[in-house]
Amino acid sequence: MKVLLTVAATMTAALAAIPAHAGPVMDEIVSSDKVICLVNPNSPGFSVADSEGVFHGFNTDFCRMAAAAILGDAEKADMRGVGFSDALKTLVAGGGHMASRSITQTGTRDADPGLSFVVTTFYDGQGFMVPTSLGVNSARELGGATICAEDGSTTLMNIADWFTDQDIEYRLENIADKTARLEAFFSGKCDVYASDITALFSDRLLSNAPLDYKILPEVISAEPLTLVTRPDKTFETVLFWAFQVMLNADHFGINSTNIDEVVATLPDQPKAIYRLFADDSATVDMARNLGIPEDWAYQVIKQVGSYSEVFDRNLGRKTVFGVELNDTSNALTRDGGQMFAYPIR
Amino acid sequence: MAARAGNRITSTVREAFASPLAAFLSVISAVAALALFWSAVNWLVVGAVWPWQAPDVCRTSSGICWPFLVEKTRFILFGTYPFALQYRPAIVSLMLIVLSVVTCRRLAAGGPAPDARGLALVWFAVIVVAFVLMGGGVFGLAEVDPVRWNGLPILLMLSIVAVVLAAPLGILLALARVQAGYPLLARLSAAYIETARGVPMLTVLFVGIFVLPLTLPEGTKVSPVTATLVALIFFHAAYFAEDVRGGLLGLPVGQGEAARALGLSYWQATRLVILPQALRRSLPSLVNSTIGAYKDTSLVVVVGIHDLTATARMSFGDPVWRNNALEAYALVGLWFFLSCGFLSAIGRKLHKSARS
Repeated sequence: MKVLLTVAATMTAALAAIPAHAGPVMDEIVSSDKVICLVNPNSPGFSVADSEGVFHGFNTDFCRMAAAAILGDAEKADMRGVGFSDALKTLVAGGGHMASRSITQTGTRDADPGLSFVVTTFYDGQGFMVPTSLGVNSARELGGATICAEDGSTTLMNIADWFTDQDIEYRLENIADKTARLEAFFSGKCDVYASDITALFSDRLLSNAPLDYKILPEVISAEPLTLVTRPDKTFETVLFWAFQVMLNADHFGINSTNIDEVVATLPDQPKAIYRLFADDSATVDMARNLGIPEDWAYQVIKQVGSYSEVFDRNLGRKTVFGVELNDTSNALTRDGGQMFAYPIR
Repeated sequence: MAARAGNRITSTVREAFASPLAAFLSVISAVAALALFWSAVNWLVVGAVWPWQAPDVCRTSSGICWPFLVEKTRFILFGTYPFALQYRPAIVSLMLIVLSVVTCRRLAAGGPAPDARGLALVWFAVIVVAFVLMGGGVFGLAEVDPVRWNGLPILLMLSIVAVVLAAPLGILLALARVQAGYPLLARLSAAYIETARGVPMLTVLFVGIFVLPLTLPEGTKVSPVTATLVALIFFHAAYFAEDVRGGLLGLPVGQGEAARALGLSYWQATRLVILPQALRRSLPSLVNSTIGAYKDTSLVVVVGIHDLTATARMSFGDPVWRNNALEAYALVGLWFFLSCGFLSAIGRKLHKSARS
């Protein structure tokens, strides 16, 4: 009888806690049982289709994070590769729930009522790569150089701004196709190759002799690459805090491999960890208000991993990109980066 | 037989060295051809990494990397279409290829006019089935968003379907333009044709994607694939109209007058006497326009549709296979070489029968 009563009480509590009406996007996700997530169709390390046509990469893991938190299954992320201008348009038109495709958060974009910028998953910036043989150590020494860059992005504007501000002469070689652009650089047609720092790291590997090229220290623009959704308070809250769970996990050294052990020994763990995963924790209270599974925090870490895990898996030392998380702005604040883990309580 | 072949070779050699300039050019082209041949052999045979070798070997070899093609050909063909459902785009591609080949060969065969009504009916059915199979959502087929229609099927659908639907529209436009009795109709048609031909295809694609949806009633959703298809149909129709008009103008005036004198109505005369002759005359240039239209279809990449060239690029975007751009493009090149080669063979055949 006591058991029955408890069950009944829990059920009533659960029922009462589920909001009568979540946001429109959230409703759509739950009823269609998938999170439609727009990703870059071809961005090595961030999102690239495997041989079976399924997208993998740093950006796609945040689609999986959303699906794990809301639907309890990371595999329910429906990733679709769309171009940049199409992504924002499709989102505004209701053709997707969220976009995780290296979109820089800017004021004018955020002012669009059809878009919500939720949380920055990657801090990037634009830089320069030169052949070591050029003997240049700073972008300030690039007077008269020919720069290869991509048309149609903020890249060209940033270059123009920076070189004009520094009062340095330069020539621009505007080549739209990446393969052709890199070929021009590697063959010596351009002295400098300009792109986002992360792209420089991966593009350098396409050379036959990557060590013959170096990336200059100047970062001339700030590119906070941010998750974008159709406006929906509930959905945005879930995304923001699911990301915070991933950062908090790093803070406490929790990842997908040791999470089960941590959960099994919760009473012995520090209070902050207890608040993340226990049955009567802050995350459960949040779940009741947001209408998502109570073990969402556990599912995110178990199925997707902590932030550094996602970073290392897709871009880290063991991948061809070989980027060390703590060498970038994406380290936790305590490690000198800009990733600030918000408290969950 | 051997003697004649020998004679031909001697005469070719003699021609090649007829004058100092000819000799000089011959030597240069022979050297260039040999160099090209040697690098092709080097790439295809000498340095090749065979399918049964480990993919790692590709990194140190200078030749074609077969393991890449074994791994990625299916992706290049069908892209991000759900893996388990890829039999659907496979059927669609096969259907469109077979029907196109059959239609082309019927046209080129000459002799009695092909059964136009039957052919049109089959085409209509195939186009409908193609869209149903790709999209699903009915008859228990799982729904697949047009964003995932990638690679070969989308290239075929956009090129073949656009050409097939543009052809009748082009014929109507051409007929309208030669109507001396209805100057307004003729002017309107001429204005449309010249405008469409005066605008680059890229502009038309952008209009299709960004402007066309604005003209529809609010709330109607039109997928980029449909919008692009509509834009392509209207674009190609203008070119076809000019080809057909060439055939119409080349026809002796007496043909139409004789048909009318026999008591045929305008439509009867057009259908039974004028069009069959005019179309036969314009077929060679229609084939040329078709080849152009087919190759231009890859431009749809700029409006975010991932056709064969786009999936090829995605296939070597995979970091593990990042050095295999050449293989991916070679595969796409081979496909376009074969399909365009087939079309021009048909074109040559039509040229010959038109002249005889």
